[in-house]
Amino acid sequence: MVQLRPRASRAPASASAMVDEGQPASEEAEHGLLLGQPSSGAAAEPLEEDGDGDDDLDDEAPEELTFASAQAEARAEERRVRETARRDKTLLKEKRKRREELFIEQKKRKLLPDTVLQKLTTASQTNIKKSPGKLKEDKSQKKNEECEKGNESKKVKEKIQSIGQNKSYLARRLKDQDLRDSRQQAAKAFIQNSLYGPGTNRTTVNKFLSLNNKRLPVKKAAAQFLNNGWGTQKKQNAKRFKRRWMVRKMKTSKK
Amino acid sequence: MGEFKVHRVRFFNYVPSGIRCVAYNNQSNRLAVSRTDGTVEIYNLSANYFQEKFFPGHESRATEALCWAKGQRLFSAGLNGEIIEYDLQALDIKYSMDAFGGPIWSMAASPSGSQLLVGCEDGSVKLFQINPDKIQFERNFDRQKSRILSLSWHPSGTHIAAGSIDYISVFDIKSGSAVHKMLVDRQYMGVSKRKCIIWGVAFLSDGTVISVDSAGKVQFWDSATGTLVKTHLVANADVQSIAVSDQEDSFVVGTAEGTVFHFQLVSVTSNSSEKQWVRTKPFQHHTHDVRTVAHSPTALISGGTDTHLVIRPLMEKVEVKNYDAALRKITFPHRRLISCSKKRQLLLFQFSHHLDLWRLGSTVATGKHGDTLPLSKDADHLLQLKTKVSKMPACLRSAVQIMFSEDSTKLFVASNQGSLHILRLLEGSFKHLHTFQAQSGTVESMCLLAVSPDGNWLAASGTSAGVHVYSVKRLKLHCTVPAYNFPVTALAIAPKTNNLVIAHSDQQIFEYSIPDKQYTEWSRAIQKQGFHHHWLQRDTPITHIGFHPKRPAHILLHDAYMFCIIDKSLPLPNDKTLLYNPLPPTNESDVIRRRTAHAFKISKKYKPLLFMDLLDEGTLVAVERPLDDIIAQLPPPIKKKKFGT
Repeated sequence: MVQLRPRASRAPASASAMVDEGQPASEEAEHGLLLGQPSSGAAAEPLEEDGDGDDDLDDEAPEELTFASAQAEARAEERRVRETARRDKTLLKEKRKRREELFIEQKKRKLLPDTVLQKLTTASQTNIKKSPGKLKEDKSQKKNEECEKGNESKKVKEKIQSIGQNKSYLARRLKDQDLRDSRQQAAKAFIQNSLYGPGTNRTTVNKFLSLNNKRLPVKKAAAQFLNNGWGTQKKQNAKRFKRRWMVRKMKTSKK
Repeated sequence: MGEFKVHRVRFFNYVPSGIRCVAYNNQSNRLAVSRTDGTVEIYNLSANYFQEKFFPGHESRATEALCWAKGQRLFSAGLNGEIIEYDLQALDIKYSMDAFGGPIWSMAASPSGSQLLVGCEDGSVKLFQINPDKIQFERNFDRQKSRILSLSWHPSGTHIAAGSIDYISVFDIKSGSAVHKMLVDRQYMGVSKRKCIIWGVAFLSDGTVISVDSAGKVQFWDSATGTLVKTHLVANADVQSIAVSDQEDSFVVGTAEGTVFHFQLVSVTSNSSEKQWVRTKPFQHHTHDVRTVAHSPTALISGGTDTHLVIRPLMEKVEVKNYDAALRKITFPHRRLISCSKKRQLLLFQFSHHLDLWRLGSTVATGKHGDTLPLSKDADHLLQLKTKVSKMPACLRSAVQIMFSEDSTKLFVASNQGSLHILRLLEGSFKHLHTFQAQSGTVESMCLLAVSPDGNWLAASGTSAGVHVYSVKRLKLHCTVPAYNFPVTALAIAPKTNNLVIAHSDQQIFEYSIPDKQYTEWSRAIQKQGFHHHWLQRDTPITHIGFHPKRPAHILLHDAYMFCIIDKSLPLPNDKTLLYNPLPPTNESDVIRRRTAHAFKISKKYKPLLFMDLLDEGTLVAVERPLDDIIAQLPPPIKKKKFGT
């Protein structure tokens, strides 16, 4: 049996071919040979058909597929490709947009509500202006008994105080402060060392409180008998293991 | 009295700081005590050893030396290198002056009281002149090699003994140079690697210098020749402090083991004129280092790392042998550190640098008398507030006492200048309503405030003029309770009757009716009869007074070792009856029970008590602080070897 290929595309192709035939030369001249086929549309068909219609050839004439129709098909194909590309792009864009919005929402959820943020920002702005004054005020309040220091530094400070805008500054030379701090540290270390350092005969509070218990007629245990700080890591691991084992046991018993 | 459920609270983690220096003032019989956190407290020894004044401290102002100068002026010096003068009237610090010698280790006022000597870290001894308004640097003495840890003036004011590390120097005031340098053995009859630190020196008028050092020795030196006269080996640990009496016939030393030794000048034989120093009495009242001692004409005073202040009157010096000659040990504060909100069942704890807010636990169980009920809901730590500097009006900057009105709309503030301010509290701000100016009279003790529950009356104590009562509605002074010569320890106004109940440091209680402007009948009756002698012999002052909302005849008081409900409708006890009589057995006849029942119902079940109050009709809250809990948080003591351990 001869199998006839469906020639569905023939009718519109011929219609467009009729339209296009009016200006085939000009199109060709513009686009050049779009399809790389010989100019006559009639000759184009047998080349297409040759590949697959080998069985039932020779009885039928090759199909009439004009160049114009093929061109139109090609253009349609192009358009389709373009359309798909555009659709893809828009899809991607939409996806990206949605993802962005999701991120923004998540971030918003993490932060405090707007009202509180606004309050904070306005407050921090005013605070920034006031904070240098406040800090100095704090220092001066803490050491408010030091209204006068030695001769030189007093004069320097007074000058600075009169120059500055905020009257609550207390100027101090940093070099002096370091020296003073290091000497104070040395003094504290000395007294700590001499009272509680090596060579002194000190005992722990636990032993001290337990000494009485040892001399009682009915001997009692030490004041702090247990050492709760022993093996904390081991105890934690054991607890975690126990929990997991229980969960596993429940699961297997349910099954 | 009724049955009460009692909340026993032990989660107030109150740890007082150790005592660092003690200074005794002879003219006013007052004791200044400074602690390691910089707090300075003034105790009035004649007013039943009551803590009158109190300067809150800061770690940067930790003191190493404290001394009184002429005219009741108090000076302290510390490791931050500054000399601070305290204003005892304004309860504030007058000024602080930098000595420019580094950390200051010791300070001594001259016998005349007009000069101040300071020993510094860099080995210099500086002389300051005490002017009426300030102190002024006069000159430096010869600089020594190591830090000057102790100083002492000769009673005539011509020489100074300065103890340092491994040696003692004797200076001449006029020339300012070291006359003698006496080297101290590092260890008694032996060699030791640790340096010998001279913790204390004392200069007697016959030229003897007494030194105590870290090897446990008390040594007597002759300052004219610069030689060692006698050595007493007193302890195995450091001997950290020394104080000589004014008559120079006895002195006291304190050791790191907690022992205090009393040395006296006794004649060699009963009828010879030759005298020698003999170690007479050891006292073991402390468990940790005794870092400071003082010698008053009749008592030995010691204080140390275990935070107790121990005053031991000497029996041979005390004229009248009554309860005044007993040992006094001051451990707990003499003011109220806890406030309670009755409706919400909240407790506010006051620490030195922060406040804690707790909610009380609750229980649904019931039981009989003496049962301990299990808690169904534990106590909650709600809030911890640290100190913060914020905008405050100038009048509130130096507030001594603050109290809220019963409905929490008004705030009453007592400032340290003696004036009282009333502020109205609004949402987030406050409006200054009125100021009551300072009345006449000097500031004698810390101001206490009391507000009546209906909000009409405000009572303020603290001045020598008596307790002032102000009318809040009309904003003027209503009346003044007549002055009493002992300071007020607690103040409260009863709910319906508006009776002001005042407790003084000599354990007297007065009840004054504010609307009638006179003492009540009950108060007159008990003053006429006098309190029971056991009541008057209590050691610790009453720090809080509470009332029962439904029973106006009941007053609830407590001190550190007992709490008492006074029932004004019952007869008063006289000296012959037993003051502390717990519930008699029920098989006693009713007649006996009626005969022995008296107005003072005392219970010693909860001690040591820091606070006790009535929450509502059937519940009490008692905040206890066991001594062992305090000891558990102190620095380590010296090891003592006991036989059998």
